[in-house]
Amino acid sequence: MASDPMGSQLRRILSIFFSLSIILPLSSPSPTMHNNNWAVLVCTSRFWFNYRHMANTLSLYRTVKRLGIPDERIILMLADDMACNARNNYPAQVFNNENHQLNLYGDNVEVDYRGYEVTVENFLRVLTGRHEASVPRSKHLLSDEGSHILLYMTGHGGNEFLKFQDTEELQSHDLADAVKQMKEKNRFKELLIMVDTCQAATLFSQLQSPGVVTIGSSMKGENSYSHHLDPDVGVSVVDRFTFYTLAFFERLDMYSNASLNSLFTSYDPTLLMSTAYYRTDLYERPLNMVPVTNFFGSVMKTIPTDSAYPGFLVAHASEYAAISAETETARVVLEDEADHSKTYDQSEKGLQHTLDEWLKLLEGKLGVKDPEVLVAYGLGSMVLLLTISTWLSS
Amino acid sequence: MEVAEVEAEVEKKATATRSRLIVRLAALLVSHSTLVSVVCCLAGLIALLVLPLLAKNTYISENALLPGSANPVLSYQHVTQANNLIMDIMSIADDKQAPDIEIPKLIAKYMEILGAETYHHKFSQPQNQFHPLYFFSSSPNSPPTLANLSYGTSTVGIIRAPRGDGKEAIVLVSPYNTQNAGGIDASASASSIGLAFSVFSLLSRATWLAKDIIWVASDSRFGDHTSVSAWLNDYHNPNFIGDASSTRIFKRAGTMACGIVFKVVEKERREKYEDRDVVTLYAEASNGQMPNLDLLNVVHYLAVHRQGIRVRIGMFGGLVKSHLVRVLGEVMQQVGRFARSLNPDWRFEMPSSEYVEGTATLASSIYSQALGVPTGPHGAFRDYQVDAVTLELSPRFSLKNEHTRLAFLLKGGRLIEGTVRSVNNLLEKFHQSFFLYFLTAPNKFVSVGVYMIPFAFLVAPLPIIAASLFNLTSNRNPWRWLHTAKPLLITHTWSVVVTLLPFYISKISDLPSTHCMLTWAGGSLMALVILYIVFGSPYSKHVEWRLLKAVMIASVSIGLCLMSIINFATAQIGALFVVPMCLFALPIRVKTNNSLIRSMVMTCNLVMAVLGFPVTAVALMQGVIKGFGTVSILEFWDSMKFLWGWNSATYLYLVLVHLPCWLLFLHILFHPCR
Repeated sequence: MASDPMGSQLRRILSIFFSLSIILPLSSPSPTMHNNNWAVLVCTSRFWFNYRHMANTLSLYRTVKRLGIPDERIILMLADDMACNARNNYPAQVFNNENHQLNLYGDNVEVDYRGYEVTVENFLRVLTGRHEASVPRSKHLLSDEGSHILLYMTGHGGNEFLKFQDTEELQSHDLADAVKQMKEKNRFKELLIMVDTCQAATLFSQLQSPGVVTIGSSMKGENSYSHHLDPDVGVSVVDRFTFYTLAFFERLDMYSNASLNSLFTSYDPTLLMSTAYYRTDLYERPLNMVPVTNFFGSVMKTIPTDSAYPGFLVAHASEYAAISAETETARVVLEDEADHSKTYDQSEKGLQHTLDEWLKLLEGKLGVKDPEVLVAYGLGSMVLLLTISTWLSS
Repeated sequence: MEVAEVEAEVEKKATATRSRLIVRLAALLVSHSTLVSVVCCLAGLIALLVLPLLAKNTYISENALLPGSANPVLSYQHVTQANNLIMDIMSIADDKQAPDIEIPKLIAKYMEILGAETYHHKFSQPQNQFHPLYFFSSSPNSPPTLANLSYGTSTVGIIRAPRGDGKEAIVLVSPYNTQNAGGIDASASASSIGLAFSVFSLLSRATWLAKDIIWVASDSRFGDHTSVSAWLNDYHNPNFIGDASSTRIFKRAGTMACGIVFKVVEKERREKYEDRDVVTLYAEASNGQMPNLDLLNVVHYLAVHRQGIRVRIGMFGGLVKSHLVRVLGEVMQQVGRFARSLNPDWRFEMPSSEYVEGTATLASSIYSQALGVPTGPHGAFRDYQVDAVTLELSPRFSLKNEHTRLAFLLKGGRLIEGTVRSVNNLLEKFHQSFFLYFLTAPNKFVSVGVYMIPFAFLVAPLPIIAASLFNLTSNRNPWRWLHTAKPLLITHTWSVVVTLLPFYISKISDLPSTHCMLTWAGGSLMALVILYIVFGSPYSKHVEWRLLKAVMIASVSIGLCLMSIINFATAQIGALFVVPMCLFALPIRVKTNNSLIRSMVMTCNLVMAVLGFPVTAVALMQGVIKGFGTVSILEFWDSMKFLWGWNSATYLYLVLVHLPCWLLFLHILFHPCR
């Protein structure tokens, strides 16, 4: 029967349309997929005895770099007076552990704002993106509505404020205002604020913008303590909260699937000598479904190519982003349910290929760019096919 | 209309009562002046006695200091090197071949081996000149005239911080007497140099220095203070007008962050067995100035918690044995216990022994500050607003044994190393902690906010009494006090003459102190008589005794308050003498109803007339402090010479405030009461 392969072909096409009709409406209401990662790391204190704050920030810097955020997407703000301080027993080196295994101030540390540039004004300018014309592009936070931003701050703080270098302070409503402006200007999709200071939790009290998840090292009325002292350098070299954060990340690489929840619950109040506080009421996704690499790592911009030759490359990049993001979520889900086999992934890939071709075909035929129109056409042709097939089979 | 009127009236009344309230309060106080003054004086005395209970534990308030956070790295190697230096010094001293030339050379040689910049600083003994009006600044030493045969030689070495900016320096001072090189405490004296050398040799290799290190091995042949102050003077006042002295090398290293003076003293025979090495801290500089409390805290913390050295500060041993103080201690303990039984939150209970020690230490602290004379070479630093402290280290075992000496040097050296490292961490001048405080133990202090209370209580009744006396006079003219201003003016003119007389007496050289004293007394009396002849008797018919007393009290309270700004401790002790004199003064011839009270007041007055005389008052103070056996009235000249030699404002207080008060008191006592 000649109609038999024809029928199976039709069923393939049908199934594609079904899958399209399921996938596309889900993705279309939020056109912004998570497609890039940024980190803003701020050390707000200065002076030799605050060595540990610089070490904290540099440790986080090293961690997020290791987990895949490239240097150009990290805004590092440091007082930067430790490595070359005359009091430093180890010139041009900064350590976060008394074992001196790891020099944090190695070859490729790119400090964007250093010394007296670390001010509340500059910090707010970085967040809101309102720079003077003379500020170079490398000092801008060039995030967009698809960005996940990690904002890490450490220094000396108090009830609803954070000191900047002993001269000025950032108050909780300043921070909330900046975040709100960011939201209005579509500068982030999700924002993780992590603060290691005394009474860090109070800094989040004014935040209202959705998509923000925060964690602070201590509750109101609590102090955050340093972890240990380096008797060689003669100062404390790391704070407890940051120390245990780093300990958590040391076990991970950029392919790990540890969730934010596992990070947030890893803090032991007896070890911290304070209570780590996290606020999730502004955040939609369940924390145990969010991998830490969503903030501390980076989305690899994978461009799936069908062949090595440009003639076969897909012209439309935005749809590819959407599709690759889709596979990303599929991967997350998959990894959460570890018992599923990898074959599912394989079949998904095969499906994608035919889907690509079909889309290309449709695009070429119809000359439309909008997926909605495609869907409409697709549905129409599906109904047509359905009636024809029932008519043929009867 | 009516309502508005009533409202306006009410408002008017309200403002009237409001404006009147303070006046009424003042009137109330003035009308009950006797009660107020008795209550205030008693409160002042009690507050003074409970000061040891109100002492707080010291704490390090400057975060940047980070004392003890780095491990000391001074090793036996450094100490053995230092021991070689000690041996060399001792052998030179034993040979008696001009140790005053050889020893500085030797020290310089050792310094140069370490790579330090070295030079010698020569200075002569300053003249003990009379310049009491320089009490705020250091004595303006003239550049030393080296034509003078006798001069001392200090050796100075400077280590530049390898990565520092060279703008700040830490000064280590180790006094050493070349004249007494072969003396009894020669080994201890050489050990001070050895101690400094061990630390210096460590610091010359340290990679963490942010401030330059200056080591002054000061020649203390004219006393510890002289050499340091001469060196500091040359350091801060460069002498550009060059004659022969311009060729001298003098190197500098930025502003001084802190000065640490240390000397090793071997106590010959101690009363009790010491189970530890002891370091005694001396902090009082001229005119009651103290170094920042943080500096003392750092030394105390490192000594006690890191090196296991016991810390002592000055204490009057006599007061510990005094029965009166012991009884007071018992009373305080009982009161504290009672207060705690009333409310468990009131925790000022203190064991009586602790109270007694606290009182003895507090008395020593107040006395040293009140005297206005520095207790060591650190005082010279304070004249340039540099915080400095003298550490007197005394070992537990004899230094003659080499092993115990090495162990002691290691311990002492690590204490100094830790202090230097801590100060090296500083980013600003010492400013966080207190400058105005009394110590009641090495780790307990009474801050300015607390110790001002007794003084305030003592001085508070003075204006009230003056006002009430002014109201009681029969004359109703508001300018009536002008007549009494004349005796006041005469008295103060006289006191200025008395202040300046010693300047002329000291010009006449080679007078024994008894002669000087008699000349001073005679001159003063003559001046008083001349002033009375010129300006007339103080007892003119317009001068009522009440007005005279009011004016006297006003002038005294102004004097006391001024003095409390210059040197609080002097004002505090002075108030104890002067305030009763002001309150009790009553003419002998005045008629009162109650003869019993009158006779009591008269007895008090006569006693005070004797004790309030500055000469007896000073003798009394010294008697209470040091025991009465050693006191003689004729020593007054010497003690005054001592005071003005050190530019102490206490001299000015005694002659310009206390003496006129006493004279006016006598005036009132012998007022004719017409």
